[in-house]
Formats: sequence, C-alpha cells, structure tokens
Amino acid sequence: MIDLQHVYFSYEHGEYLLEDINMTIRNGDYISVVGENGSGKSTLIKLILGLLVPSRGVISNTYRHRAYVPQRFETLNSQFPITVWEVLNCYRQVLRLKDKSLIRTCLEQMGVYDLKDQLIGSLSGGQCQKVLIARALMGHPDLLIFDEPSTGIDVRSQEELYPFIKDLNENRGITVLTVEHNLKFAVRNSTKLFHVVGGHGHFCSPKAYLDEYMSVTMGGKD
Amino acid sequence: MFEYAFMQNAFIVAILISIVCPLIGIFLVLRRYSMIGDALSHASLAGVAVGLLLDWNPVLGAFGLTSFFGILIEVLRSRFRRYAELILVIILSLSVGLAITIISAGLVHTNVESFLFGSILTVSTDDVYAVIALSVVSMALIAKLYPQLVMLTFDEDGAQIAGVHSKVVNYIFSVLVAATISVSIRIVGILVISSLIALPVAAALQLRKGFRQTLMYSIFFSFVDILSGLFLSYYIDAAPGGVTALTAVAVLVLVIIYKEGILSWREKRRQS
Repeated sequence: MIDLQHVYFSYEHGEYLLEDINMTIRNGDYISVVGENGSGKSTLIKLILGLLVPSRGVISNTYRHRAYVPQRFETLNSQFPITVWEVLNCYRQVLRLKDKSLIRTCLEQMGVYDLKDQLIGSLSGGQCQKVLIARALMGHPDLLIFDEPSTGIDVRSQEELYPFIKDLNENRGITVLTVEHNLKFAVRNSTKLFHVVGGHGHFCSPKAYLDEYMSVTMGGKD
Repeated sequence: MFEYAFMQNAFIVAILISIVCPLIGIFLVLRRYSMIGDALSHASLAGVAVGLLLDWNPVLGAFGLTSFFGILIEVLRSRFRRYAELILVIILSLSVGLAITIISAGLVHTNVESFLFGSILTVSTDDVYAVIALSVVSMALIAKLYPQLVMLTFDEDGAQIAGVHSKVVNYIFSVLVAATISVSIRIVGILVISSLIALPVAAALQLRKGFRQTLMYSIFFSFVDILSGLFLSYYIDAAPGGVTALTAVAVLVLVIIYKEGILSWREKRRQS
C-alpha cells in the first residue's frame, strides 16, 4: 500500500504545485491519474516514486518492488547507443538478479525477443514501450507505474498494450498506477481515477469522471 | 626508438591513457557533460602547481586537487541546478587563477609548457607508477559500477527507482574523471585532454552500435589517436598533445566520411 497524507509540493520555495493531496493505493488497484497538462500529474508520480521529496506531508510505502515505465519520447535519448539486450541486462545487474534467462523470458513475454540485438533508438514507439515493460517485469514488481503509456505509439499498438497491462493487474496481481492522458483507456481499464486539477486531487469512479468531463465539454460548446 | 627509457615510459602511459580516456569519456559525452571534462582538465593545472609547491608528484597533486574540484562541481550542481554552466566558469576561474598565481610568482620552478602541451621526455618512472596505480583503480571501479553508470546515463529516473544511489555514483565518477585527467596530463597535456576524452567516443558513436561495442571502438580509436600522436611527435619533434588532437580530429572526419559516404552509397545501391 502507498499512502499520501496531506502532501504539498513546491520547487525551491515557490508556489505549491500540489496541495493537500490525500491518496491511498491499495493492492490490486488499477489507478489512472488524469488531469490537464501542467496540472501536476507527473509531479505526483515522481513524489510516489521517491524521485521528489514532499515539501509537507507524509508518503508511506509498503511495496518492496516498484518498477517504472517512463514516457519514451520525453525521457529517453533515441540516439543512445544501447541494444535492447543491454538495456535489460544492465537492469538485471543493478537489481542483482543472477538469472540471465530472465531477459529472454521477459522479452518473449512481451513478444519482442527478436529485437534483442537492435538499438533501442531504432524501435517504433510500440516496440520501445514493450521493451520497457519487459525491463520493468524483470524485477517481479508488485507495483508498476507508467507515465502516459500511449504517448508516441500508434493506435494498433495501443490496442495491444492496454489489455496486457490490464492482464498484469487482474491475473498477476500487480498494482498499476498510470499517468493517463488518453481518456478512453483510463475509463475502460481503471478501477479508480485520481483527478488532479489546480494542484488538488480527488478520487472518482471512471463513470463519474466521464459524466463530469462530458458535462464540462458539452457546457463549453453551448 | 624504444631503446630510450623515456620512450618506453611514454609508451606504457600512452596505452593506459588510450583505455582510460574513452572509458570515462563515453559516459561524459552521453550525459552531455563534456564541458565538465574541459573545466576539470584546466583545473588540473592548479593541482600540478600545488603538487610541485608541496614537493609531491605532480600527477598525484593534479589528482588530489582535480578530485576536489570535481566533487565541488557535483555538490554545487545539485544545489544550484539552474546555474550549471556558471558553476563551471567559477571553478575554472578559481583553479586557473590559483595555478597562474603560483607559477607566475615563481613559487615553483617547472616547465609549464610540458604540462600544457604534453611531453614525451618528461615522463619519469615515478609518473609511470602513479599513472599505473590510478589507471588500474579507475578501470576496476568502472568495471564494478558499469551497469549503474550505463543505467544512470540512459535513464536516470529508472536507475534511481531501481536502487542506484545516483549521488554516490556521481561523486565516485567525478573522482574517476579527475584520475583520467591526471594520468593524461604528462603525454597529451592539459589543453587537449578534453579532445581525447570526447573525440574517440564521437567517432565510435557514428558507427551506431550497442553500448559495449561503441566503448570498444572508442578504445580502438583512442589507441590509434594516442599512438599516432606519440610516434609522429617523436619524428617531427613536436609536442605529443597537439599531434594527438590533430590525429583525433582526422580519425573522426575519416569515420564520418566512411559512414556518410561509403555506407550510404552501399545502402542506396542495395535498395536500387
């Protein structure tokens, strides 16, 4: 379980980007964090991952094996000289996993074993995302965190990817937390949505969020 | 030419430099930290001056003070993220100012030119021992930290989440950069160390290979650059630093021509 209690965050004593966030992630949840660009979704994820420290409030975590799948186009340098195999092998060594066959198992699971000798920068968006998920799965995570998994990948790859994430959550018991800008997939897959707006956040059901979104959108057209 | 002891010393040092420089250089270039290498190579002149002032071996003096400046840059960079470039200028001013003051005031008596441009004649047996010790320790540490360094360079957030202590690794890496610069001072000289750190890696990157292969090609190009520099400088009686820098640029240009010209031409022919 991850529990955020009255969490505030600002960079270098500036204005608060996030204010009084209260959020509990329980085992088996599939939570999508939704909201406008710049609302603080990614900051919230970085706080949960421990990459940022809250200015106020407490974050407690009982998950032992967290894994993160970054947003491919934002984070990674496509010119970086590294093969798919090397990406997974370094991760294996950092996690001190002795079993080298895990690399093959995880790549095969994602259907990308054939790409093992290719440079990561030469892959399509969908292929790259699958490789990064394969990397994340190597550590047998109990919590898997995604940053906008559908960014930069085509519609067909998106349709392949989300059922797989859903399967990891439902059948392998991995708790999933994702920053999501794709409303369709957020509503279709999540057990709960966490809506961040103006630095504040609250849980809502996918249906309630959709109703709220539609009323705002339709209201805007009027 | 190997009948001379100074040439044997220079040759041993050159081989070690050709391995250590790209080992560190590949991480500096890919993390876009090349300018740190440049700032620290200039800072090493202060280390040489202080080393001579205290009657230490100049290579070890350079290592001590360059490590200090490397760690200082890392500390200041993590505290003042928005002013990373300014921090390099401050460290450069401080270290070069210190070196020029000590040397120009006549507090030490040395041939500064040999440290700036590199020299084959001045590599002493003590220098060789210092270079061997620093190189072996650097290589062992890089081998030990290899997966952590690759992950930090490729995906810093992912590495931290996976448990890499990025601050500790970055501090160790700063000391390794200092060690690399210190071992290179004697042969290639302070003014061209950064080219030796960056150019063989830049040439290897053109070939679009995986990480390990890029590293191997970098070492190969570095080996060609330094040994050509050493032999040519011996025959034309010039400072090895200058000749090595020119060779490094020439190799980079040749690799680009090979890649853009020959490989592209073959690819087009294959497609047609």
